[in-house]
Amino acid sequence: MSVLIDQSARVVIQGIGGNFGRFSARDMVAYGTQVVAGVAPGRNAREVEGVPVFEDMRAACSATGAQAALIYVPAPGALDAVLEALDAGCRVVVYPGDGLPVQDAIDMRAATHRDGAVLIGPNTPGVISPGKAKLGFMPSFCYMPGKLGVISRSGSLSYEVAWRLTTAGIGQSSAIGIGGDPVKGLNAAEAIELLHNDPDTEAMLYLGEIGGNEEYALARYAARADAKPTAALIVGSAAPRGKKMGHAAALVGSQVDTQAAKAEALRKAGVHVANSLRDLVLVAQHAMSQSEKEVLDT
Amino acid sequence: MMITEHKGKLLLGTHGIAVPHGSLIREPNQLRSWRNGFPIAVKAQVSSGGRGRAGGVLRAANMEEAEAAAQRLFENDFSGERPQTLLVEPWLDHAREIYLGITVDGMAGGYAMLYAPAGGVEVEQQAPLEYPFGAPRNFKAHGFRRLLADIEQDCALRERVVALARRLLFLATAIDAITIEINPLAVMPDGKLLALDAKIVLDEAAAFRHAETSDELERARKKERPAVAKALAGNLMMVWLGGEVGLVSGGAGMTMAAMDLIADAGLKPACFLDCSSNPTPAGYQLAFKLLDAEPEVRAILVSIFGGGTHMDRVARVMGDIMKKRRSRKPVFFRMNGTGRDKADAVMREAGLYNYPTLESAIDAAVAEVRTP
Repeated sequence: MSVLIDQSARVVIQGIGGNFGRFSARDMVAYGTQVVAGVAPGRNAREVEGVPVFEDMRAACSATGAQAALIYVPAPGALDAVLEALDAGCRVVVYPGDGLPVQDAIDMRAATHRDGAVLIGPNTPGVISPGKAKLGFMPSFCYMPGKLGVISRSGSLSYEVAWRLTTAGIGQSSAIGIGGDPVKGLNAAEAIELLHNDPDTEAMLYLGEIGGNEEYALARYAARADAKPTAALIVGSAAPRGKKMGHAAALVGSQVDTQAAKAEALRKAGVHVANSLRDLVLVAQHAMSQSEKEVLDT
Repeated sequence: MMITEHKGKLLLGTHGIAVPHGSLIREPNQLRSWRNGFPIAVKAQVSSGGRGRAGGVLRAANMEEAEAAAQRLFENDFSGERPQTLLVEPWLDHAREIYLGITVDGMAGGYAMLYAPAGGVEVEQQAPLEYPFGAPRNFKAHGFRRLLADIEQDCALRERVVALARRLLFLATAIDAITIEINPLAVMPDGKLLALDAKIVLDEAAAFRHAETSDELERARKKERPAVAKALAGNLMMVWLGGEVGLVSGGAGMTMAAMDLIADAGLKPACFLDCSSNPTPAGYQLAFKLLDAEPEVRAILVSIFGGGTHMDRVARVMGDIMKKRRSRKPVFFRMNGTGRDKADAVMREAGLYNYPTLESAIDAAVAEVRTP
C-alpha cells in the first residue's frame, strides 16, 4: 500500500451534509475512493450522494469499518471532531480547514500521537496516492501515478506543480499536503520519513515557503547517507519582512525564515532547488534521474 | 497579532507576574499628574517589534525632560506606526536583565520556553536556550530547571524563572497567545523578578473565543491603508506591496509563487491578494474594485488554480465583472483547476482569453506594463 491510503481505505466524511461535503464525496467516489459513511450532526439526513449518513462517528465506524476520516467542520468545532474520529478508531484523519487556533492544533496533534494515528492538517487539501485513492479535494486531473513523492505546505501550489509534473510525464507516488499552519498533525520531518520508508517513492519534491523552520528538516534529511534524491521549490522571495502572507506560518521574522536562507541551506545539503516555478520540472527531473542512476549503481 | 506593551502588562499583572506601576498618557500634558518621582521611562506604545532600537524608549530625569521626550515620541513613527499612547513608568535600578519567553514552535508540535541569561535590546545576538516541550501538559518544571542549570549559575534565580515560566504557559494557553516575551526581565536588588517589557502576540484564529482579540483585530484593520482595510473586511487576504501588477489570486502558496515570477520579470507585484477565503462574486468584485481604484496598478493578473473552488463558476463571475467594469486597466487571466473544461467554454463565450500557463500570462502582463 502507499503511504497513508489506497483503494482499500474505507473513508467517512464528517460534515458530509454541507455543499462542500457533498461535492467532496462525489469527487472522491469518482476517483475510486471508498466513501462508506458520512456524519452530519444536526441534520436529519439518511443518505447524501448515495453515502449512508450516521448519527455520530462511533455509529458510522462500527457499522462500516471506516478507519479514515475527512473532516469538513468549521474551526470552532474542529478539535472535537478530530477527537471523535480518534475515539471511533480512525487511524488516518484529515482536517483541511484553515483559521484553526494553534492551541487546538497542538491538542489535535497530541491526541493523534497518543492514539498512534496520523493527522493531516490543518489547512490542507489532504493526501492523494494517484491511481489509487484520495482523501481530500485536490483536482484529480492534475495527478498521475509514478515514483515522485510530493510534500507541500500549500494546496494551490501543489495543484499547479502536480499539473506541471503530470504534463511533463513525471508521475507521483503520493502527494501529501502538510498544510500552511505552524503546528501540523503531520509535520515536514514526519512526512519525509513516511516517503523515505515508502517503496513506491524513489525521489521527493518538497514545496515550501517563507516562515517557520520546517524546510530545515528536509536539509537534515538530504544530508543523510541513505536519503532518497530530493528537490524543492521555496516560494516567497518577493514577500516583505514582518508581513503574514496568507498562511498563518508564512511570515519572515528573522533571517532563517527567508526564501534565500532556506534555498541556500537546501542546496548545501544536496537538494535540487528550483529558482521559481519556471524551472520546477527541471529540478524534479534531476531528482528522478539521480534516483535512476543510484538504482543502476547498486 | 501583537498587542501593545501596556495591554500586555495588564495581562501579565492579572496573572500574578510583577510589572512596574505605570500610567498611560494620550498627550504630553497628562504627565503633569505623574506623582511617582523621577527618573522615569517614557515608552511609545506601538504593535511592532524593534521599538527599543528605533529610539521608542526615552529616559527622563525631570518633568521638563519628560515633556520633551513625550513630545518627540508622539511626533515619530516606530516601525511605520505613530504611537497613540505612551506608557510612563519609574526608571528602576536593577541588578541584572534576563530574557524569558514562550512561543509556538512548529518542530516541537507546540510551545517552546526560551531563556537567555543576558536580556535587553541585543538579545538576538546570541540564540537563547530553548526548551521545546510541545503540548502544554508536557511542560516539566524539572526538565526546564535541568536545562537552565547549564547556563544559569544563580540557583535562587533559577527557581524564580522556573515558577515564572509556569505562569507564562498558563497565561499563553488562557489567552491563546502565540508568543509572550519578557525582555528585559529585571532581577531586582532583592532578587525578585519584574517584567520591564511585554511583547504578546495573540492568535488571530482564536478571535472567535476572545472578544479582546476580535476587538484588537478590528483596531489593527483600521490602521491599514484603506484598500487593505476594505479587503480584510471583505474576508480577502491582502498585503500591500506597492508595485505595478495587481494580483487576484487563490491560495497563499500560488499567490507567493506568482509574486516571485512577477519580481523575477523585473516588475513589482502591487499586492499579495488571496481570494480563496471568499471565492464569491462579492469577493472578486471587491478585489477588482480595489485594484481598479489604485493608480499605481497598471495591469491585473488573475491567477487561480482551484481545488475546492469551481473554476467554471469563477469564470462566469469574471465574465460578469468584465462586462460591468468601467476601468480600462488590462486584465490577464490564467485559470485552471476543478471544472476547467467548462471554465474554458465560459471564458470563450465571454470573449476572454485564458492564458495556458502562468508564465505566459505574466509575460503578457509585464509586456503591457513596459509599453509606454
